Order: sequence, then C-alpha cells, then structure tokens
Amino acid sequence: MPHIVTDNCQSCRFTDCVSHCPVECFHEDDERLYINPDVCVDCGACIPACPVQAIYDVVDMPEDKEPWIKVNAERSKNLPVIMSKQEPLPTAERRRTELGL
Amino acid sequence: MNELTKKTEFFGGCPHDCPDTCSMIFNVEDGVVKGVRGNPDHPMTRGGLCVKLKDYEKRHYHPDRVLYPMRRTGPKGSKQFERISWDTALDEIVSRWKTIINEHGPQAIIPYSYLGHQGLVHGLNGGDAFFNRMGATVCERTFCGEGSCTAWLLTVGPTAGVDPESYIHSKYIVIWACNSVSTNLHHWAIVKEAQRSGAKVVVIDSYASRTAKEADWHICPKPGTDGALAMAVINSIIDQGLVDQDYVDNYTSGFDALKGRASERTPEWASEITGVPADDIRKLARELATAQPAAIRIGVALERHHGGGQTIRAVSSIPALTGAWRHVGGGITQFPVWEHPYKFDVICRPDLIPEGTQVVNNLQIGRALLGELDLKVPIKSMMCWNSNPVTQAPETDKIVEGLKSDDLFLVSAEHFISDTASYADIVLPASMGAEMEDMILSWGHLYLTYNAKSADSPGEAIPNNEIFRRLAAKLGFEEENFKWSDSECLENYVDWESPACEGIDLEYMRKNGFARLTVGTKDDRAPHKEGNFPTESGKCMFEVPGATNFVAGPFRQMYDDLQPGEPLDPLPDYTAPRESPATNPLLAEKFPLNIISPKSHGFLNSCYANMEHKIKGQGEQFVMISAFDAEARNITEGDRVQVANQRGAFKGVARITEDVNPGIVVATLGYWRQLNTGTVNSISSAEFTDMGHAPSFSDNLVEVTRTN
Repeated sequence: MPHIVTDNCQSCRFTDCVSHCPVECFHEDDERLYINPDVCVDCGACIPACPVQAIYDVVDMPEDKEPWIKVNAERSKNLPVIMSKQEPLPTAERRRTELGL
Repeated sequence: MNELTKKTEFFGGCPHDCPDTCSMIFNVEDGVVKGVRGNPDHPMTRGGLCVKLKDYEKRHYHPDRVLYPMRRTGPKGSKQFERISWDTALDEIVSRWKTIINEHGPQAIIPYSYLGHQGLVHGLNGGDAFFNRMGATVCERTFCGEGSCTAWLLTVGPTAGVDPESYIHSKYIVIWACNSVSTNLHHWAIVKEAQRSGAKVVVIDSYASRTAKEADWHICPKPGTDGALAMAVINSIIDQGLVDQDYVDNYTSGFDALKGRASERTPEWASEITGVPADDIRKLARELATAQPAAIRIGVALERHHGGGQTIRAVSSIPALTGAWRHVGGGITQFPVWEHPYKFDVICRPDLIPEGTQVVNNLQIGRALLGELDLKVPIKSMMCWNSNPVTQAPETDKIVEGLKSDDLFLVSAEHFISDTASYADIVLPASMGAEMEDMILSWGHLYLTYNAKSADSPGEAIPNNEIFRRLAAKLGFEEENFKWSDSECLENYVDWESPACEGIDLEYMRKNGFARLTVGTKDDRAPHKEGNFPTESGKCMFEVPGATNFVAGPFRQMYDDLQPGEPLDPLPDYTAPRESPATNPLLAEKFPLNIISPKSHGFLNSCYANMEHKIKGQGEQFVMISAFDAEARNITEGDRVQVANQRGAFKGVARITEDVNPGIVVATLGYWRQLNTGTVNSISSAEFTDMGHAPSFSDNLVEVTRTN
C-alpha cells in the first residue's frame, strides 16, 4: 500500500520529496514525479516535504485521488529514477499560489 | 544541532526493537501527543521515520489500550477481566508470590521480557535488579542476535566494528541476511548514497527480499547454508592469493589452522550445498578482497539456523583476511552497541543473584511450563513485559498450553491485551514511549538517544520502572536502586565518565535529544586499522582454543553462572541445518519445504499488528510460494493455505511468486494469533543453534496444503 504523487505536482515539480526518500522510489518526466509502488516503503517522509501537498498515503487519501494509484504504478515503470533534488519548474511558484499553499 | 523551536515539542527516541533507534520530535498539545516526526538534525534519522512509526501517536491513544489494572474473571484465555485498583493488583501479586516463595522458593517465579522497549530504564533489563533481588529463576533471553554476539565476541571482541555511517566511504557493500529496506531503513539510505557514489551493493539472502531486489547483485543460498558460502569465500580468498598477509601476520591469530580447515571447503563443495554457482563464490571472494574499502553488514537472520554461530565466526573472519579493516568504511558491522557505555552491572545487579540460581531460556518457555525441562524448581508464576511470547517465541502451542494451566500465576504489564496477556491473571497497564523518560539503546548506530516524558499516560498506566519500584517497596527491598527515580536511573546507568561520553551528560541529552559517542567520526573511524581488537590477545581470533558456549551477560540478567558451557569448535566451519531436505530426508518426506519467517514490513514484531490501518497496509498473513511448488499442490494465487509440521500449523493466503525458489516458502512474522489461525511460530522449533542459545527460526521444514 504505497504512497502516490497526485495532481498538485503538475507544473510544480519542486522535488524536495526526493531528498527525503530513503529508497529512491521517485521517477520523473518533464512535468512531474511518480512513485514506484514496489519500491516505496511507506515511511511517509516525503509528505511533509512537499510544498504543494501533492503526496498521499493510499491508506489515507481523498477518494478523488484514487486514479493516481494506477498512474504512479504505470508511469514509474518506464521513467528514470530521480536521485536528487532539482530546480522547480518555472511555473512552480505561480502554481503554488494558485493552489493557495 | 538545533534545539526545539516550540515549547510544545519534546525529543523522543524510538523504543522499538530495531537497530535504527530514531531520534524523534513529539508535538504535544494540551498534554496530548498530536504528532511525531523524525529529528531532521540526526545524521541517521534525517527527519524520516518508517511505516510503523510515522503515526506513533495513534498507538498511544488506540481505543484498545489497557488503561487500568485488571483481574481475570473468566477462564484463562477468555479475555474476561474486571477493573481493580493499583493497590489491589499489587497486593494480590505480592500475596500470590509470597505464597509461591514459601511453598517452592523464589525460583518458582520467572521474569519474561525482551526488547519490546529498548530503554535503559524501562526496557530489556529494567526488571533484572528486582528479580535478581527476589532470587527468581534467571531468564535467558535470546530471541535475536545472541548467537551472533557469542560468535562476534569470540572472533573480534566487543567492538562496534564499522560505523554504519562510514559506509558512505565503502566501495563494496555486502548486506548479509538483512532486509534493510524493512528493518534497517536508515542504514539503507546510507548504503544507497554509497551506491550512487559507485559502490557495488551485494545482498545475500535466501529469497528476493525488498532489499535483495534493490541490490546490484543478489546471491541466494539455500536457507541455513550461509556458513558453507562463507567458508568457501575464505577458501577462495586464500586460493586466489588475495590474503593481506601483512595484516594477517600482525593482527590475527590462528591463520594456519584456518587455512587448513578451509582447504577442503572449496567453491565446488559449497556450490553443492548452497546452490550458488562456484564461479559466483570465487567472484564474491575476489571482489570482497580487492574492492576496498569493503564492508559487510550482517543481519540478525544470519544466526537463525543450527550453524548460525559458526556462520558468523566465518563471516566475521573475512575482513581480517583481506585487510579491509585498514580502511575507513572497511570491515564488518554487527551491533554498534558494544561501544555504548552502559553500566549493565548497575542496571541488573547480578551481585544480588543467589548462588546456583537456575536458568530458563525464553525460547523454551513452552517446554519449561509443560515440565519438559529438567528444572530444579518448577515454574509457578511468570511476569511478562516488553514481550509477547505467544506470538514471538517458537513452539507456540506448547506456550499456550502452559499458560492455560491453573497452576501458573501470570502477570502481564502491557499496552494491549496481546496474545500473551490474554492468559494473564493480572494485567497491569504500562506506559508507552512518549509517556516516560528514558534513553534508548541502539544496536544500529553510535549515538545516545534521549526520550523525554512528553505527555501523561492515559488512564492509570504507569512506566515499567514504576511498577518495579512499587513492587519492590511492597516486598521490602531496601536497596538504594529500587528508590531511584527514572532520571536518577539514567544518571547511574550510563558511564558518563567514559571517554566515549566526552562532553556529554544527561543535561546535554535533554537539551539536544541525541549525542554522537566519541568513538571516531564516520570519516576517520578505522578502529582495527592496526589490529587493536578488544580480545584477550588484541588480535582477530580465527582460532579460539578452548572456547566454550555462552550467552552474553545483558541477555541473562548479567548472570555468569550455569552458562551453556559446552566446548565449541575452535575454528569456523559449516554446520548443516537440522531441518532441510539434504540433512533430514526422512522428515522432508512429510514436510518437504523450508520456511523462512522474516519480520513484516508493516509491523514491528507483533507491535502494530492489532491496528486496523497497519494491517490494511501490511495485508493479511501471506505465504510466498514458488509456481513449481504451488502447482504440485494444486494451489492457485490467493488460495487459503495451511502451513504445518509436527509442531503446529497456521493459515495464510498463497502468494505465488518468483521471489522464492522451489523448496522454500516465506511467511512474515508478527500477525496476532487472536486475529488469525495460528502464527508462523506455531511451526518453529525451540531447539537452540550452535552458539549463544540463539533461535532456529530459519531451520524448519513444513508442508503447505490448500484449504479452500
């Protein structure tokens, strides 16, 4: 029962989560991050690290986030691992403001 | 190091049975713990906890928590209790004990505890002084790592070995019989850092654990055959001319004898036994010797078969053969706790133990209760705290039968009505981690860790140490230590004057939450660069003439009489498992599969396995089985199956997987018996391994059948 990255990551990609993850379970594309459910250990260290509250424990998430379980599982399989924090997307701060966070 | 930023925050130390001993921060509002997070300043914890601890506060306020002293009202095991006052509970316990002592003597009473709490005050040894003063039977507690300790002490002495943090400097890392991702997560993060810097990570495990899947190379010996692999590695290091002869000549003892012993333990010989290709064994030997610094992290599982001690003798000899100890980040890590400066004689007061006091090992408590052991005095009462033998100890059916006896008076100090407390005559509500001051020992790093009393206990729960203080007062024990407050205990239990504690005192701990021991830094520590092993000779002892078997003091109340004492082989070697198709074909006709029962990812031993959201995360009890073995038994994915042998049975759900080889099944530990049908320890043997009276949890044959 892993954790998942959800819609708030889109256009942000702050990637603070990566430096808190003990197991390298985050994968990346140009838009956002995904968690590999087979590698995630459910420690939850990434949740408070995300400035836009994009990460949820699937045991404890709003129902409307459920589709992201499949997205994370499928996309993470074919994308490279992100091993260290990177610069957020140029749109990140604007998106964070839009999200009210 | 930062101080806490808010008055509502308190430093915590994870008290669970795990090497990581995380430094934590409790967030407390109106006297209630509202949240917990990892201490971001701690170099190993790094701000992250684990799946078990991330909502630690929920366990403190779980609706099933035991809040008041209770007396049994129904049949044993019925879980029918009535609330009583503390005075009534303690008076009843003392009255029953006095009667038992008058009739049978104090040895008819046995304490039963383990590392359910790892605090110096409230943990493993917290009741030792009390029961030693009473003259009770000494309980030898060897659930986890004690055979490893014996082998380690014989070979290299009480050294912390390689600092787990120094692995960032390692170029070759072998994780041997440890599922770090689930049970040593904060070390795994360091291993991954080394891997990113170019280190090769090798995992040796008998199934594809989560950790093995993340390795650069997974070596998969058959269960219980790691000793053959280790001996062949020694053979091959010597055979390939890769011995650091200068290191061996100056800092080791018994090389010629070891060379002689290893000469016939060839990779081909080991390949037959382990199933690992001979060329892989040669490659492992070559890489371990040449890719320096090379570090080996052994897990507690390495001892869990008949030859466990000898396996660790062999593995812990390897770094001295290759000269890995010369380097920062080179050598081997067992339990860093050996360099923690604790005063176990003050904690346990072995001086109070009457001469000739009998010893019962906690793995064999079922046999003891059923009269199967040759005891001078039969057991009439047991007090159990920080431990849950019905789930965690082997030969569970015997334990349950013993606990059901009307002739046994069982006292449980507990957080929940566990599988063991279900049979108690008196249940005492024990405080949980955030509710009591302590310092938490670590067998996985080189930091002292402080835990503040951050909130009051709910109901009438009190700390373990307060239970023993009250009992000692009622029994008229006058020794000063029974009057020490928890803070005074900490002042007395740690050797604050030792060089390792330079600049550290209890006030420092309170202010900072943790403190690095002064035993070198991760960037310069190479404790055996020039030998200096804390053995009698100062050398790494390949050969130990006259060695006899023993259990390390802290695991037997610091009692040194009546040690096992049988002569040990002076040299490492391979000792075969008792139960495998190769070594016990007759038994394997009925029970052909070897079972391994590692810890569950989502539980900590049996802790958390009663909490709904943790069970949801972990999933129900499963049995991993190969497609080959499943097909032969007409088992399909998700079928209900029974796992059984001559000792008992449990049920689970079949999970058909390539993660286990044919001939092997894996079912993880911790599930509660009262919520399931049996548990994995229903089938486990209580026979000891070759050293330190260690458990043989990975040396059991079973058969699996479909039940739906």
